[in-house]
Amino acid sequence: MSRDVLERILWSLSVDRFSKEKFREDSQKFLSRFPIDEESVRMILEFDVKAMQAVGINPMLTLGYWIEMSPDRRISSYNRKLGSESAHSASIKG
Amino acid sequence: MAEITGGFLVPHDPVMFVAPDAADAEKAKKVWDAYETCAERLAESSASSVIIVGNDHYMLFGTTCLPKYCIATGHVEGPLDQLPGLKKEQVQNHEALAQHIAAHGSETGFDWAVARSFTTDHAFSIPYKLIVRRAEEISGRSISAIPVYLASAVDPFITKARARQLGEQIRAAVESFNSDEQVFVIGSGGISHWVGTKETGKVNEQFDRQIIDLCCNANIDGLVAFTDEQVLESGGNGAMEIRNFICAMAAANAPRAELIEYQPVPEWVTGLGFIELKKG
Repeated sequence: MSRDVLERILWSLSVDRFSKEKFREDSQKFLSRFPIDEESVRMILEFDVKAMQAVGINPMLTLGYWIEMSPDRRISSYNRKLGSESAHSASIKG
Repeated sequence: MAEITGGFLVPHDPVMFVAPDAADAEKAKKVWDAYETCAERLAESSASSVIIVGNDHYMLFGTTCLPKYCIATGHVEGPLDQLPGLKKEQVQNHEALAQHIAAHGSETGFDWAVARSFTTDHAFSIPYKLIVRRAEEISGRSISAIPVYLASAVDPFITKARARQLGEQIRAAVESFNSDEQVFVIGSGGISHWVGTKETGKVNEQFDRQIIDLCCNANIDGLVAFTDEQVLESGGNGAMEIRNFICAMAAANAPRAELIEYQPVPEWVTGLGFIELKKG
């Protein structure tokens, strides 16, 4: 498990249009470029932001990744995925 | 010599722009009015430029390069993360002073990362729009703004002690700048807020009041004494931004400070504090 590589992937998928396009086209192929293990691939593909934070991923990245790439971009869903009932969001995307 | 003659510590809460009506109307007005107070006081001053100390939120800098501290010495625009009412614009940087601060740092043990063409995020652009641009409107004079970015939200974090030293270096650099101009400094951040974590929406007023008291008593030692673990536990990952306060306070070297406003606003996920650093 490489936290650094995971953060690189999530950062790319949060801010880089080319990476976002390639991920949407073929997420498995996109991820195959990076030296990450099966569990990391699972966390990314399943948008398991709780597991990501548990291995030390910066929450600003998990939030950004969720907003930019998840099928359900709602913050209420993000909060539920984290195990939170919070009605509030620090999202800059509404 | 140039001189830092005042400054402010203010929040940079994007949720205010995204969900302005989420907060109680009376609280919201107090917060917006606090920015206006800062703008009026900047307008009343003779400052011709402002140094805004903020931090990236893992947007501007990625894992390939994470600077501990960075100064924009050339072209500036922003923010990257545009918000309703906060659209990207060109920023009038004070390039000569910014370059002087970086060069002075090289001579005195501060190897600044330099952004020769830079895009800001909301940490710079919110106080820039609500205070600097607004002060320009009120006063009718031009006020330039220099972005300084500290590693306050993404690890490896700048230490609080180093943030203080950096503020002292900024002050020394300004005072060695061959000009008689006056400069303000703004520390942009905090206070308690949890970003992207399950605690998001929590605000710790007790912690916020503690930080405010330290700031108002110009007690930089007290701020530096907090461990990161204490800050994370009591103020959340967003409160690591007190580094920006520390740097700005050390730069201003103000003997006293005045609380302009404090509002804990869970709907805006932040304890919002406004403090003026007073030199006179």
